[in-house]
Amino acid sequence: MADEDGLSTEQRVRRSVARTLGNLTLGTVLVGALGVWLSLGVYTLDPGEAAVLLQLGKHVDTVRDPGVHWTLPPPINVRVIENVGMVRNEDFGVPGPGETAEADALVHESSMQTSDNNIVRVSFTVQYRISDPYAARYRIADLPAVVRSASAAAMREVVGRMTVDGVLRERRDALTAEVLTTLQGVFDRYSKDMIVVDAVELQDVQAPAAVREAFDDVVAAIQDASRHVNEAQGYQNQVIPNARAEAVELIESANGYRDARIAEATGEGERFKALSVEYKKAPTVTRKRLFLETMESVLPGVEKVIVKPGQVVPYLPLDRAGAAK
Amino acid sequence: MKRIALFALFGVAFAVLAVAAGNLGIPPVVITREGEQKIVLLFGDVRDVTAPGLSLAIPFVEVIRTYPSAWLYNSTDAKGIQTKDGEVLVIDNYTVWRIVDPIEFMRSLASVEAAEQRIDRVVRDAVREVVGRHTIGEVLKDQRAALMESITANARHALERYGIEINDVRINRTELPPGTEESVYARMKTERERLAKKNRAEGDERARKIRAEADRDARVIVANARRDAEIQRGLGDAEAARIYGEAYSAEPDFYAFVRSLDAYRKTIDTKTTLVLSPDTEFFRYLEGQGSE
Repeated sequence: MADEDGLSTEQRVRRSVARTLGNLTLGTVLVGALGVWLSLGVYTLDPGEAAVLLQLGKHVDTVRDPGVHWTLPPPINVRVIENVGMVRNEDFGVPGPGETAEADALVHESSMQTSDNNIVRVSFTVQYRISDPYAARYRIADLPAVVRSASAAAMREVVGRMTVDGVLRERRDALTAEVLTTLQGVFDRYSKDMIVVDAVELQDVQAPAAVREAFDDVVAAIQDASRHVNEAQGYQNQVIPNARAEAVELIESANGYRDARIAEATGEGERFKALSVEYKKAPTVTRKRLFLETMESVLPGVEKVIVKPGQVVPYLPLDRAGAAK
Repeated sequence: MKRIALFALFGVAFAVLAVAAGNLGIPPVVITREGEQKIVLLFGDVRDVTAPGLSLAIPFVEVIRTYPSAWLYNSTDAKGIQTKDGEVLVIDNYTVWRIVDPIEFMRSLASVEAAEQRIDRVVRDAVREVVGRHTIGEVLKDQRAALMESITANARHALERYGIEINDVRINRTELPPGTEESVYARMKTERERLAKKNRAEGDERARKIRAEADRDARVIVANARRDAEIQRGLGDAEAARIYGEAYSAEPDFYAFVRSLDAYRKTIDTKTTLVLSPDTEFFRYLEGQGSE
């Protein structure tokens, strides 16, 4: 056969070596290309990230462990990496930097009707996380728009059930809690466990600018009322203890009088009893002595006018001593 | 061996290329992604409806239509709707819907844009019909959730035949028509003024009541104390009288004498002028001393 080709043995060897080398080169290139292609299937997940794997378009797995992973490379498997740990914020009626809250778009976004047919301005933030990245991306289209509309509708629904005073003052906690529950229910209705609503935060709740003064005056009136009540309570706190103090003084003074009277009476009584014991022993002498002693102690400081008999003698109650004579 | 390996390599490369082409929408390989569904038409007849994954189609002969299978969002612009009691409310809403029967959908509406227009119309009709059966108070207040359920049910029923499933029609904004805000604000203002007056007056009322009660309590406390004090004084007086009586009744005559002496001691002081007769007991010996 070689002879028919007209090739020498040497040429044949050379050709076969060349072919082998060629095959080897081609093989190496192809294997290398395969290797490079397969290496495209390597990907890394940071904490909080999840990879949705689609094989020929079909969802086969959602990988959530952080670290280095390998899957079949594109175009067989396509992977979509989504941050599931991140808390996303949606603001409603919240002015951005350099923006005023009275900007038309913001007023429109935050104006809501209450059950008593008032208008109230509620600006708020919804915080949520994507818990199922597959559902968030493929079970629903335009998730951000849905989140915005659902949040606004839920807030309007709950505010619409409350009175203006309820929204402005009394039931703020109930408001956010109800919005959160309603909103979570709405999202679960679209796809269960797709989104977790972490918080609904009220940024600002106020009356519309046109009537704000009147609303402020009601708040001022309530404060006035409580100030008046406080003042009255202050008065009460002063008057009642004063009265009680006076009462104690009156009663203690009366008790003192009573005890003093009794003590005096007892003392005088005992003194008299003691004296009368002596008196019985010598009545006349004792009488005289007592009278004279009394005069001795009474007369020194007194201006005395001594009148002779026959003149008109002004009557003095000394007569008792005289009568007893 | 070498040949087989080579074939295998080429085979893999070819498959990869075919899939890559399929990803770009070029048959024979048809890749249906998640969130999509495709209809394969052979000369106008539906040959296949695909689920996510790989399927095949004949290039240049078969036609492929792609529709979303995920829930879609469509918002309907605000429109004035009349309530049962004749008030007008501007209501806007959004709809979450999807294509459940792509064949029916393709035949009746063909495109998502056409479907959105149809949904807008159907939802508006449903809102008009349902809101028209309720008063403005019911719409604004507690029946909103029930209202949305009825609207959703209405729309769901009306759109079924287009291969559309309605998940939810939600009312977002309900407000009075533009131009009526001023009257709302005026009403809110007078209501606030009334409330402010009421609060002030009530505060005043409570304060005055507290003061009046405090005054009353204080008077009662003092009066009670006076009463008790008088009782105690009386007790003291009575007890003293009893003690005196008991002590003096033994010697009434001597008592009168001693008591008079005490009275003199107490009543006669430096300001007193005494006019005395020399006949008194005290002076008894004053004159007689010299003569005797």
